[in-house]
Amino acid sequence: MACPPPAPRRRALLALLAASPWPLAWAHGDEAGPHSHAITQTGSDVLTVVGPWELTGLDPSRSGYMFARMEVLQTLLEVDDAGQLQPGLATGWQVSADGLQWRFALPRARRYHDGSDVTPASILACLQRAAVRPGVLQLAGITGMAVQQSELVLSLRQPFGPLPYLLTHYSTQILAPASFDAQGNVVAILGTGPFRIKSISLPQQFYVERAEAAPGRAVQRARYISVSRAETRTLLVQSGQADLAFSLDPPSIRALQDSPRAVLLSAMLPRTTLLKLNAGHPFLADARVRRAIALCIEREGIARALLRDADLGATQLLPPSLARWHDTRLPPLHTDLKQARRLLEEAGWRLGADGTRWKEGQKLQLTLTTFVDRPELPLIATALQEEMRQIGIAVRVTIGNSSDIPAGHRSGQLQMALAARNYGNLPDPVASLLQDFGPQGGDWGAMGWHNQEVPALLAKLAATPAGEADSGRAERARIVAVLQEQLPVIPVVWYRQTCAVSRRLRGASIDPFERSYRIASLQWT
Amino acid sequence: MSLSSEYLLEPEARRWTSAQIAGVLLLVLIVLFAWLGPLLIDADPARQQLARFLEAPSLAHPLGYDQLGRDMLARLVHGTRLSLSLAVVSVLSAAIPGVLIGLLAAWCGGWIERVLAAFADAVLALPGLLLVLLLAAFAPGGFWPLYVGISLALWVEYFRVVRAASRILLASPQVEASRLLGFGPGYIVRRHLLPALLPRLFTLMRFGLAGAVLAMSALGFVGVGLQPPTPELGVMMIELLPYYREAPWLLGAPVGVLFLTLLGLLLLSPQKGQA
Amino acid sequence: MDLTRLLTLPPATRRQLASALGQRLLQAALVALLVGTLCFFMTRLLPGDMAYRIAAGRYGYDMVTTEAALAVRAELGLDQPWFMALSEWWSRLLHLDLGVSQVTALPVLVEITHQLGPTLRLSFLAMVLSLLIGPTLGVLAGLHPGGWLDRATLAVSVLLRALPSFLLGLVLVLLFSVQLGALPAAGHTDHGGILLPALTLALGLAAVSCRVARDAMVQVRASEYFAFALTKGLTPAQALLRHGVRNVAAPVTAYLGVQLVMLVEGVVLVETIFAWPGIGHALVHAIFGRDVPMIQGTALVLGLLFVLFNALVDAACAFIDPRRRP
Repeated sequence: MACPPPAPRRRALLALLAASPWPLAWAHGDEAGPHSHAITQTGSDVLTVVGPWELTGLDPSRSGYMFARMEVLQTLLEVDDAGQLQPGLATGWQVSADGLQWRFALPRARRYHDGSDVTPASILACLQRAAVRPGVLQLAGITGMAVQQSELVLSLRQPFGPLPYLLTHYSTQILAPASFDAQGNVVAILGTGPFRIKSISLPQQFYVERAEAAPGRAVQRARYISVSRAETRTLLVQSGQADLAFSLDPPSIRALQDSPRAVLLSAMLPRTTLLKLNAGHPFLADARVRRAIALCIEREGIARALLRDADLGATQLLPPSLARWHDTRLPPLHTDLKQARRLLEEAGWRLGADGTRWKEGQKLQLTLTTFVDRPELPLIATALQEEMRQIGIAVRVTIGNSSDIPAGHRSGQLQMALAARNYGNLPDPVASLLQDFGPQGGDWGAMGWHNQEVPALLAKLAATPAGEADSGRAERARIVAVLQEQLPVIPVVWYRQTCAVSRRLRGASIDPFERSYRIASLQWT
Repeated sequence: MSLSSEYLLEPEARRWTSAQIAGVLLLVLIVLFAWLGPLLIDADPARQQLARFLEAPSLAHPLGYDQLGRDMLARLVHGTRLSLSLAVVSVLSAAIPGVLIGLLAAWCGGWIERVLAAFADAVLALPGLLLVLLLAAFAPGGFWPLYVGISLALWVEYFRVVRAASRILLASPQVEASRLLGFGPGYIVRRHLLPALLPRLFTLMRFGLAGAVLAMSALGFVGVGLQPPTPELGVMMIELLPYYREAPWLLGAPVGVLFLTLLGLLLLSPQKGQA
Repeated sequence: MDLTRLLTLPPATRRQLASALGQRLLQAALVALLVGTLCFFMTRLLPGDMAYRIAAGRYGYDMVTTEAALAVRAELGLDQPWFMALSEWWSRLLHLDLGVSQVTALPVLVEITHQLGPTLRLSFLAMVLSLLIGPTLGVLAGLHPGGWLDRATLAVSVLLRALPSFLLGLVLVLLFSVQLGALPAAGHTDHGGILLPALTLALGLAAVSCRVARDAMVQVRASEYFAFALTKGLTPAQALLRHGVRNVAAPVTAYLGVQLVMLVEGVVLVETIFAWPGIGHALVHAIFGRDVPMIQGTALVLGLLFVLFNALVDAACAFIDPRRRP
């Protein structure tokens, strides 16, 4: 085969080289579509919120909290910063004398984002759907839902005081009928909030804009981007690309403290990092072993080193921000290694040659499961592992996925787990505590703990109608005292939420129940 | 198939340049650091003193303390020892099967060779993470899934180089002469193939060592790596990443050790044109 | 080589081309088989009851019952002997039925088509940048072996290879986004958001191709044909252009095939660091979430892309080096 003349080939090569800057023009978003990736370019007037949470789907039970926080979807009732109920979509509520029937006054002149009316029938359909899907409505034992004139009537099997708090949870969000398809799956997000969805690109980001233009320098457009690494979130704030950033880890907080672009806001949240124990496990069934573990944890040291705030060391399960439940008279959890070792010896565990304790030929070895979704958890787990080694317990740390813990709870395989439980999930902790310390225990609460007193007291509290503040004081004190003594879960540290706010914004505040980012009240400076 | 293997067939210079001597010294230092370090430094790498977290370096503790109050120098020496042993074992367990299968393929030729080559190419295309994940499913947090996983990802390179080089060598007149004289495969391999192959293999192994350590850090990044509190260079790099502002020396330590190791390994290979 | 020549090739050449193509197709099929088999065993062997996990993913942990888990077991064929279940798995793969993601409940195929675009853009740009940076510097360094550029590129190349990609990405973000404010740090809708991740990948690749190009350049300068060209009266620049470029391009292109492995692995990490919504990001998330259908889908796509790129590299090699043409 004769060689072709060189000139065409060289020309082709040069053409290829000349074409290479062309891909740089590719550095922009691709075309729009109903659920595509990029839409318009972001102007500097789009509020950018970054956080670690991703949208795993459109269903309210899965990612409803994201849409609630960006104020797209609303619930029937709201709460203020102090935990007091406020009207949301429902304008008022009342309970019958026997506590078995609740009535909620529904709005008359509201519209969904697609223009259709907010009818009582549509609200009923949403709640009926929420009652059969994973959520919190099962706690209340609802026997029937109906609409009478423009009131929603809920009938209960037995009195359940915290019912209105359940209706502030994101799984009971109200969506327009057009959001669902024939099978009942969510295909679009059409709600009643001040903002409406402009576009969603699962799982990473979504854009919202005001349903009705707001006056002045209020925020008109916003977007949420999910960024999994904490350092990247901090860098986004430092470079000015992000205006609101949540879930900052302690080193980032230090880095942002003297940043020219952002200020830091913080608030104590009712979230506790706790060590969940399988009280049904032969080693952990003995309360002395559980107390020994509780005594070897250096809570203040962990809080100071890993969370950079010594006040976060937990003295009991529920933090001071839950004023009605936090009992200052309760003897606080403390660290006492000698006492811990003595308790283990009493329980029959003798120190072996390898530094761990043995009893009847069995080594005191346990597995601690945790997950990376919260960056401080693996670090705390490592610290706990070492502290337990000091008293002779060999701990293996397994870092997996957050779904491992409910799975381990159901299958009975879980031994110890480190998790962060939000007791402000429902503004009245009774419902959360019922979920965790009810008769069968809970995914994030007790496991294998056979105690009759606490579930009974919780049920009694639940039967009291909400609003009578002082009535349950004795019961609450007793519940907290039993939990502190029996330790089915061991509190480690509390939690302070820190968020970085760009200096271009005014009016930012943190919602202690993490229900909303409050972007509707933000103003550009 | 690709030219890379032919490229590596160039004869290498025999003289020891000053750069190579520097490389050898560097490597010897690092190996001593990794081997004698844990013996000379008493501190327990897992012992934590929470009150001293991120403490600055001092005379008694030249690298200070890490985020959990553990002595950083102790963690560094133990980590270097673990990383280097892990890397050496992974590379060896990749090289030996790779070389054997490559020799087999080149010797047999025909469809056996083609099938082995296709299989090797297919394995090369798999993301290494996948292999390690599957093995880690058997023994979460253990060491051997990591060895085997990294080896499974690395053996293909040795296979390709050995196969390409052996094919050419087996067609050479020296091997033909030996075959005519009646010498068996063992002799031919020992006498003709291995001496020519070993220099290329050493070059590959040098790159493989650094790659293995970085693979550990990638696995730790994804969450499939070693479980706490094991000190290991790659995992330490990830753990210390958030503290790059407050305590940059902590992050610099494992990166520096890896850099020096790699520099030593690279200086060992003679640079062409630098006579 | 004009394209018209391809049509007039002699049958022997056509047969060889066909055989090369066939080999690539065989490789692709083997990759698919391997990925499918590995994922099948992953489903069976992961700790924790897989059927329970999938049922919980579908209905939620509060709603899952033993009946639901049993139904999922039957559906997945977990109660069948493994060889029967394996053949069923393979047949589903052949029909391109990649299943539904256990986390988002969307079809895997749909998700992957969304993620493919960003990954392709990122890898293409990274490759182009690395070819612009690496061989150029390598050729310049090779022109004066032992000089300051040569030593500098050696030191920088070693440093870049010793740094894990997340560290390199961090340094670049600190430099360009925070200090200079020139480029966005993450996110893919902002102007120029692709540049930093592409640069992170490109620098790692360029570190290697720079040294390869440098060694090739040194070889060219020491070669006989180069000396002959100078004797003929060509200036060094002309001789370089006529002889040097092609001979440097040959090993660099060949090394591209090896670099593709590094590119694929680098893409996985870099996409996670910069929150770039591509296939690598999806693979990492699927591994975190133990979402086996998604792991299978993304690994399959990554593997097949690798085969495709390798085939392209082979074609490029044949284009550049006449000795390797069929």
